[in-house]
Amino acid sequence: MKNPVVLASGTAGYALEMAPLVDLSRLGAVILKSVTVEPGRGNPEPRIWETTGGMLNSIGLENVGVERLVEEVLPALSGLDTVVVASIAGETVRDFAKLASRLEGAGRLAALEVNVSCPNVEKGGIHFGCDEGATATVVQAVRENCSLPLFVKLSSAVSDISRVAEAAARAGTAGLSLINTIPGLAVDPVTRRPRLGAVTGGLSGPAIKPVALKAVWDCYRATSLPIIGGGGVYDAGDAVEFMLAGAAAVSVGTSTFQDPDRAARILEDLPAAIEKAGADGPRRLVGALKVNG
Amino acid sequence: MTETEVATAAALFEATLLGRQDAGATILLEFAAAAGAGPLKAPAPGQFYQVRCDTGKEHLLRRPLSAFGASAGQGGLRLSFMVDVVGWGTRRLSLLEPGDSVGMLGPLGRGFEVAGVRKALLVAGGIGAAPLAYLARELDRSGVTYEFLAGFRTVSGVCPGLDELRGGVSVFTEDGSRGEAGVACDGLPEILRRGFDAAFVCGPQEMMAAAAGLCEGAGIPCQVSLDSRMACGIGACRGCVKEGAGGRSLCVCLEGPVFDSRQVSWKKRTEGSGPALR
Repeated sequence: MKNPVVLASGTAGYALEMAPLVDLSRLGAVILKSVTVEPGRGNPEPRIWETTGGMLNSIGLENVGVERLVEEVLPALSGLDTVVVASIAGETVRDFAKLASRLEGAGRLAALEVNVSCPNVEKGGIHFGCDEGATATVVQAVRENCSLPLFVKLSSAVSDISRVAEAAARAGTAGLSLINTIPGLAVDPVTRRPRLGAVTGGLSGPAIKPVALKAVWDCYRATSLPIIGGGGVYDAGDAVEFMLAGAAAVSVGTSTFQDPDRAARILEDLPAAIEKAGADGPRRLVGALKVNG
Repeated sequence: MTETEVATAAALFEATLLGRQDAGATILLEFAAAAGAGPLKAPAPGQFYQVRCDTGKEHLLRRPLSAFGASAGQGGLRLSFMVDVVGWGTRRLSLLEPGDSVGMLGPLGRGFEVAGVRKALLVAGGIGAAPLAYLARELDRSGVTYEFLAGFRTVSGVCPGLDELRGGVSVFTEDGSRGEAGVACDGLPEILRRGFDAAFVCGPQEMMAAAAGLCEGAGIPCQVSLDSRMACGIGACRGCVKEGAGGRSLCVCLEGPVFDSRQVSWKKRTEGSGPALR
């Protein structure tokens, strides 16, 4: 990666949508929207609701499916001068194995993000990420079928994320991607209905930053894995905070809705923010949170 | 990219508020694209902009606003929007003062398809009159004849500029404070007998469903402009997707907001979704 600022999965689509508006080649990497074995229809509308400092979504993994990703999306990204990471989500371990095997040798990809933490699907999703054993089984299945480095995307909505991270590490993941959206509910006090068609959704945006930072810090201390940290990253100061907590790279998601070019702006402002924190480069900051005096 | 290519695509740019007109329940905002924004394409009627409402990080989502008017002349692109204050974002926009700058992304989506239409029927409810008033002015320019049925809750909500249109305009208000008492659809059964090449409808979901049903029944192709909450506005996040006829997914920001009425599933509940294009 040419730098540590990446576009998070989900908010940047398949990168093709963003490409006419922003210069993606400036970024460290783009993590594509999660794909499933078959194309996904997603959840009933409404699917989004703005909250203070963030938003709830219940998209429900609507996606083109792995076949179209390989046949149409990846070839269309051939001219893109940045690292491309695919994100995969399965309902079963078998699904993950299938996805991994289809992406083995598909070209264009530098790594896989293994999404075991989507809160918006009935099967799979966060149910895997809640369980150390299930997470390890998924990681093993993906590793057996694909030689690309893996980053497991975990949820903070578990009792002890560091134990899930350790299980993923033992199963051979190359790194971690933290965090997915946090399960939430918004209610219309007049109609008494939930704001989202799927009733509950996943919270993202600046409101979840403290939760994300703690998850990064916990996993950094528990494992020696490289971490892509994100959750409410809005400016270069946020990026530095994630690095201090232990993130080697920082992902920008919901903030791109306000400003599609936000990740590039963070990148521009990053050297000054790193200098302000008293370091001469991002690597010196990783995990350098001062907790003793 | 050449300049022409840039000018055909949606762009991110800053715009300065030139003036505001408080039109009762709604506010008319007129913007000029900031100098240096480059060549910007004027929107087609029915296309929209994602307008940034917050300069901080408390409110991250832009609000989709259909263009009420536009001109792309030597002075650069000028855009106007009708804003109905229904939530935080639109309230924030309603507080803008001349000289204030906001971020725009657009023009986005697919507007009304008018190719081959010689005689048009426009049906609007509430703030849905904004894109249709823009369409009506464009039809005036190209010499297409039309009838425009526009319904509002009360006189203070009536869309400005309707008197200046050359087509036949019938205003309805629910309380009878201007025009005929009733809603726009009340005028439909009779006017449909005159025959039209196409109908263009924008308003609350129930109103569009009723209008589409009547137009389809009369054999008149009907285009409707859907409202949906949006995040990206460019088809990336799939947050605005609605279920269409036959279970097909309609990505409102990318494939719409204007759809053939037969593509839309009118059975979906509408509670909890916002009013027409906040």
